[in-house]
Amino acid sequence: MCFAISKSILLVLFATLCVRAQTPPQIPPGLQMQLQVAQPAVDSTSPVTATAEFDPPRVRAGEKTFYRVTVSATESAIQWPEEIPAPAELKFGASARGQVTQFLGNNFRVFTSFIYEARPAAAGHFTVTNFSVDASGSVVEIPAAGLDVVADSSNLPPARMLTLGLSATNVFLGQPFHVRVLLPAGAGNQIEALREIQLNGGGLMIDKTAQRQSIEVANVNGQPAPAFICEMTVTPIAAGAQEFSAQAFTAGREFSGPISIRGQVTISGGPAKYVLLVSAPVKINVRPLPADGEPPGFTGAMGKFFSDPPQLSTNRLRVGEPIHLKIIFHGEGDLTRFVPPAPPRSRDWQVIADNPPATGFTLIPLTDEARATPAIPFSAFDPVAGKYSDLTIPPLPVTVVGEGLPAELPVFDDDAKPAAPLKLGGLAPAPGKTAASLKPLQRQGWFVFLQLLPVFGFMALWRWDCRRRFLEAHPEIVRRRQAQRALRRKKRELQTAFAAGDADAFVRHAADALCIAVAPNYPANPQALVCADVLAQLDGAEPDGCAGETVRRIFAAADARFAVTPQTQADWLALQAEVEAVLLKLEEKL
Amino acid sequence: MSRRHFIFLFALFLAVELSRANSANDFFAQGVALERAGRFPEAAAAFEKSAQAQPAAGTLVNLGIAEWQRGHAGAAILAWEQARWIDPFDARAENNLKFARAVAQVDEPQLKWFEAASLWLPPDAWVWLAGASLWLAVGALTLPGFFRRRKSGWQQALAAIGLGIFLAAMTANVGVVSRTNLGFVLKKNASLLLTPTREGEVVASLNTGEPARRLRTRGDYFFIRTANGTGWIARDAFGLVNK
Repeated sequence: MCFAISKSILLVLFATLCVRAQTPPQIPPGLQMQLQVAQPAVDSTSPVTATAEFDPPRVRAGEKTFYRVTVSATESAIQWPEEIPAPAELKFGASARGQVTQFLGNNFRVFTSFIYEARPAAAGHFTVTNFSVDASGSVVEIPAAGLDVVADSSNLPPARMLTLGLSATNVFLGQPFHVRVLLPAGAGNQIEALREIQLNGGGLMIDKTAQRQSIEVANVNGQPAPAFICEMTVTPIAAGAQEFSAQAFTAGREFSGPISIRGQVTISGGPAKYVLLVSAPVKINVRPLPADGEPPGFTGAMGKFFSDPPQLSTNRLRVGEPIHLKIIFHGEGDLTRFVPPAPPRSRDWQVIADNPPATGFTLIPLTDEARATPAIPFSAFDPVAGKYSDLTIPPLPVTVVGEGLPAELPVFDDDAKPAAPLKLGGLAPAPGKTAASLKPLQRQGWFVFLQLLPVFGFMALWRWDCRRRFLEAHPEIVRRRQAQRALRRKKRELQTAFAAGDADAFVRHAADALCIAVAPNYPANPQALVCADVLAQLDGAEPDGCAGETVRRIFAAADARFAVTPQTQADWLALQAEVEAVLLKLEEKL
Repeated sequence: MSRRHFIFLFALFLAVELSRANSANDFFAQGVALERAGRFPEAAAAFEKSAQAQPAAGTLVNLGIAEWQRGHAGAAILAWEQARWIDPFDARAENNLKFARAVAQVDEPQLKWFEAASLWLPPDAWVWLAGASLWLAVGALTLPGFFRRRKSGWQQALAAIGLGIFLAAMTANVGVVSRTNLGFVLKKNASLLLTPTREGEVVASLNTGEPARRLRTRGDYFFIRTANGTGWIARDAFGLVNK
């Protein structure tokens, strides 16, 4: 079994649709009425009649028989009672009802049959008395029917029944299986057809479009016997234990549709006798599908399937150009009810599924950024293995090109020079002039701040100018600062000389430091000052005290270098602490 | 911040800039190769990445060519306008814009006089020129006083010239800022809506590459003015020059 949809089939379907879409032919006046009149009418004027019987009318005690009532009215028109007035020894069981239409030469007549399974508990003669029912607004009397029950007899034929044959009794939910309704041949191997076949029981879906009829030798109650067989596909739609039975009308030699006959059988002639038959109920177990591990794209496909590699009509296309994805599925399951994968939603593709039973797709790229067809998720359930199989159609690489715009304009014989160039420029060989960003500097905050930096520069210049003018007006500040700087420098030299034990340098630097420390107070150049000038700057009694004495000794030692004869060397370095103290006092006055 | 920290940060900055430039060059070379191979969508993506790393006139010219070859006239015109934003003297971009507008039958954006004047130099040059001329004039007027020099004639002339350049540059700067609201329709038959909603009434249908001026923004929509009137357009259907 396989499904293969090609372009040719699509074209045929399209052509068919096109033909159907044409204007219907005009029917000549009166022909429509003639066609309607030619159809046989349904007989609704004849009086409603009823028959009642036991089938078979003679059984052993405890054996099954059927009480059958047939009324010549539609099923919906009959007000059938809930209870049948039957004797207590006659136990009524399962019942069924059905309607059949019989063609009587010039019109149709509708018959409705009611059938009850009955088992007599004891031997004897039992009668279901006559009773009345309402049918089509009139009262119809159902005649009495008698049943002879014998204690023991080996020549009694059993009740005529249908037989049900199932291909599987333990199935998964949604798993199709075959049901064979058999009507064994009657006396003299006479075969009768069946009509209005139906299965009674909930939780089943019957596919009547896939019925097959045949006459062949089948196993009936353990014995090979010719039988009329009607095979149909049934799908359970409810989980759990399910029970169902079959019913049908015998139809003589009225075979509907094709039938295959094997073996020697006898088909009786004459008008058909429509007898409602039922079968014994059968049970099946319907298992639910496993909830775990259901892959995406499960559409209810049951069976063992596999697909050929998908084929694209082309792998190079333009935006908006449709391509066809051909997918062929093979399988061991029932492909008549095969549901192909649903078209996935894709940002880059418009996906249109082919009309069932075709399993292909038409794909339209929406952008040239599409590099592959979209993956189409699909999976099936394998009831034999009891697990799902992934049949996802993988993405196929494609090249999608844009619609394209002309890169060159045609040249016309026009003397006037065209305002626009006739062709697109070539590629730039290098990136060329760069920019940090396409956002202009005018809209960037940091640049505004950068523009303020010169303002700070000019403000600094202004402050510097103001300070300069102030110092020009107050030169003593400048002198004191200069003296402080010179004094700090000289004190470092003094420390260096003391550390080196150089007494001459110590005395010289000490004298210079003392002059520097008092120079701004006059103001005068430090080199122009002498010992008396320093003493004059000492406070109170200090000139005559220890500080004065230290100053005198330092200046005397400093002046001794100018003497003609060498002077006695004293321990000038011992004066270091006193010199520091005097310099500290003088520095405080700066 | 110590000198060592400053040197480290400066070196880091240089390394990042060099890496950015290298990556932009790599994408540019990749884009050129792809475009020569006729793989325009991939080439456009490579040039796009290069332009993101380092906007450059040549990169945007090539991006525009790739978009044009893909059939995206609006995106191509936008790329070439961006190339001219960076380098107003880029002859390739100007040539391609004229060609594209002739083919796509769309007009050039209508510029005001100060916007047209701002095209004489790159946008960044105007702002540097304005800053430099302003502070040159201020310096020429104030520095002689600070340094106790006599104000000479040439200094005053320099200040006058500086102020003149500053005023002219400021006008151009206004033009630059105003041009930042220029954009182009990117999609074919883009809808100009009465309201900034998906279900808004369509006022007009705009051609791809058509110029427009953004007036304001709300959510995913721009309120724009085109030659066909004003209305709202979806953000993804409209590209600003200096996005």
